Amino acid sequence: MVQKFDAAAGGIGASGWALRRLPALARLGGPLAVYAVFALLIGLPLALVLLQAVMPGLFAADGAQALLSAEPLVRTLSSPAVAGSIQHSLELGLLAAFTTTVLGGAFAILVQRCDIPLRGAISLVPWLVFLTPSYLKALAWVLLMSSGGYLAQLGLLPPSLGASFFGLAGLVFVHTLSLFPLAAFIIGSALAGLGAELEDAARLSGAGPLRIWLRVNGPLLAPAIVLSFIATFAEVLSDFGLASTIARMSSFGVLTYGIYAAASDYPVDFPAAGAQALVLLALVLLVVVADRLLRRRADPHLISGRARPARRYQLGAWRWLVFAMALLVAFLALILPLGAIAARALTSTLGHGLEPGNFTLVNLDAALSLDTPANDGLMRSLFYAGLTAIIASTLALLLSARLDRSSAVMRTAVLGLSLGAVAIPGIVLGFGYILVWNRLPGFRDWPFPHYGDGSLLVMGYVAAALPYCLVVILSAIGQLAPSLTDAARLSGVGAIRRLISVTLPLILLSVVTAFLLTFIRTVFELPMSQMLIPQSGPPAPTLILKLFSHDRDGLACAMALAAMAAAGGAAALIWYPLKRIIAFGRPEGIPAASGEPS
Amino acid sequence: MTIKATLGLALSLTALSIAAPACAADLVLYDALDFAGPVAKAFEAKTGLTVDVVEPGSTGETLGKIAAEGGNPQFDIVWLDGSAVMERMAADHVLQPVPAEAYDKIAWTDLGKSLIPQSHAFLPTGTSTTAIEVNTKKVKADKMPKSWADLQGFAGSVAAKDPNLSGPAYQWLAGLFQTNGVEAGKELLARTLTNKSISGLSSGGKVNKAVLTGDASVGINQDSAIFSKIAAGEPVVAVYPSEGSVSLPQGLGISARTQHMDAAKKFIEFVTSADGQAAMQNGDDTDFFYIPVIKGVKPKPGRETSIAYTHLDDKVASAHETEWKQWYKDKFVQ
Repeated sequence: MVQKFDAAAGGIGASGWALRRLPALARLGGPLAVYAVFALLIGLPLALVLLQAVMPGLFAADGAQALLSAEPLVRTLSSPAVAGSIQHSLELGLLAAFTTTVLGGAFAILVQRCDIPLRGAISLVPWLVFLTPSYLKALAWVLLMSSGGYLAQLGLLPPSLGASFFGLAGLVFVHTLSLFPLAAFIIGSALAGLGAELEDAARLSGAGPLRIWLRVNGPLLAPAIVLSFIATFAEVLSDFGLASTIARMSSFGVLTYGIYAAASDYPVDFPAAGAQALVLLALVLLVVVADRLLRRRADPHLISGRARPARRYQLGAWRWLVFAMALLVAFLALILPLGAIAARALTSTLGHGLEPGNFTLVNLDAALSLDTPANDGLMRSLFYAGLTAIIASTLALLLSARLDRSSAVMRTAVLGLSLGAVAIPGIVLGFGYILVWNRLPGFRDWPFPHYGDGSLLVMGYVAAALPYCLVVILSAIGQLAPSLTDAARLSGVGAIRRLISVTLPLILLSVVTAFLLTFIRTVFELPMSQMLIPQSGPPAPTLILKLFSHDRDGLACAMALAAMAAAGGAAALIWYPLKRIIAFGRPEGIPAASGEPS
Repeated sequence: MTIKATLGLALSLTALSIAAPACAADLVLYDALDFAGPVAKAFEAKTGLTVDVVEPGSTGETLGKIAAEGGNPQFDIVWLDGSAVMERMAADHVLQPVPAEAYDKIAWTDLGKSLIPQSHAFLPTGTSTTAIEVNTKKVKADKMPKSWADLQGFAGSVAAKDPNLSGPAYQWLAGLFQTNGVEAGKELLARTLTNKSISGLSSGGKVNKAVLTGDASVGINQDSAIFSKIAAGEPVVAVYPSEGSVSLPQGLGISARTQHMDAAKKFIEFVTSADGQAAMQNGDDTDFFYIPVIKGVKPKPGRETSIAYTHLDDKVASAHETEWKQWYKDKFVQ
């Protein structure tokens, strides 16, 4: 299996295989190949889009002109609508990143370190929330909160609350509920790596729990907390699902919607799209660089060969209150939106709401029957997502192993670029892919990957997923004490074997976490699926969106339900057996390396 | 198994599995119309030719993809709502003129004849228009609007599409300015569209949603979308404004770079045949409720066709397009 991972990575970039025969070249060629893959996946397509902010004639219909011009940037930045969008995006991003990190961090601590009832079931909640794509959650909240929506029909929604929901408050609310799993994963995986030694030492020295969390665990978790803040900030900035629904309905213009509007016409206003994408990227890079400047301390390396699991706190009667709070989060983030989607899938019209005569199984039946376009799309998406997950998690592993040993500047640069890629809306990256692979001489006639084939779609998916995999694996690998691989290196073990035999087993659960995150997200990835739709047939997200935009949201909701069940089921089939094997293979009690469900 | 062998096997399997479905079809069709899939299927069954149907989403998203492909278009045929955008693609040499004999073979209705563009940029396959969508649960029968001007009585509760994001919405705006006068039309809209959260929607589906959820009592929407909702049992009706309505043709265009001209011609022939027209009505979604433009073809039951049309002055409309779209955006969007 490991070799297969390696094969996939080598297949995308320059052949790592041939290079391994030449040890001298391999030392240089290895990292170079990995960086080249990174540049090809994200750098070049992004550059082509951004370049248009200063070279508006680059892809003009009447012949390309490489003339520099500041006009589109000036025009875009001086437009009051764009200035408003920048302000809105910033406000929303900062607020939601804060609330998301608080909620996600609290959730991770409560689930991993407290003896709350039904811990196993509750630790599944972030995964299930993560399973639901943002455009579906946004639609669910519109179905729930609009003035004629389900909550109003049930008499549960005071009009004033409904009105204030469609604005900054509602956006922060939905973003927080929808993104807290990301924060919980990042902070949770760092928390799992903390082990018990430091805490035990502090307790033996007489420190109380509060003091331990403020003075020991808090500072140790700080890098993960900051990473979570930046990742969610980038995620909110790049979000399109809420931007095109709730934000749109609230006249709360954000940058991603501006880019979409500029890019959805013929001819496309490429300069305006490029200029707004440039602003978006600059905002995220600013935060990443500011973080690095403020926090020069090296990240702590925590997983050593001697780690012991941390003790769980006995909360006594308080655990029921904590349990109730966790249930509330689960209800708001998962049950209520899914309920709205299920209600829409099971009713024939929206206007007649939940009247008994309005219920029907027609939509579900159409979505589940074999040999229908919907079913074909679903199968296609599961296949593409599996392939993408293998390639992306392997690439991220290789890259993380390299980065962990390289200079802080390089690490910052790559982390910044990948977080920047998170913030770049998929639609922009998708455009970049078309420009590179359908317009650029050399790439245009390259047989594999090729624009219009499944191969380029998978490549685009990998590019969209790589930043996530990096964030997850980098945070796990960063915790490994260098002594572990140093020992192997001094014994003469080669780099690849060190990675496979020493590093990989220690962070295997993180790698699998990255794999499953990628798998689930890719099943629902929307913009790449739209822009790089293979001619052989559309993947599921394109079909779901098409149904929405063609006003068949009943069937779209039914398809989305089926897709969630399929993706979740497939992920569980991979996760649980693997977890059992790993648990079998190591002494009980070595902490899992990430915030996986137990 | 050695590492080398596993590696090679995995790599070739991966490559094979991705490359396998990439066999070229006889025709590649880009579209954003509900009936394109069923029509392509019927065409394949009848002729034995294969069609790859590529549907990125809405009309805007399809146009964005075509624009990104620029001078290297990957489609043979494009099939969309909207005439102006087809003209723009033809002017950029993304489309080539549809051969004259393709038009001559067809028994056009008078409406159909009026939609054929001089440039031959596209072949009209059907049409629709803009109407007032009324939620009958919110508006009593004696309070129904009868004209665009009546909409000011519903100020703040009128859902509308942003002409910057919807080609049909721009044709409606230009048509309104033509029938009601530019200044009077602007004043009318300023008094009517007082709720920005529903006056700059991005698609007809969202106008439907606003009217059905009750965020709006009335909406300005494509009439085929309203008939589709009526057929689905939703509590809405379509009211045609007394000022007259502007036609919104669906056009079929041929890529300037197509290598499959014969197949493209056969596809056009099929679409305009009785079988093709039947396939275009074989469904319950918006676009299936089009107004036929070929003699002898009846529309889907429930579809109104006795509509008072006004002919849009395309020259005036395209001359003011940037200015009027910007005005709408400044006034009613964000």
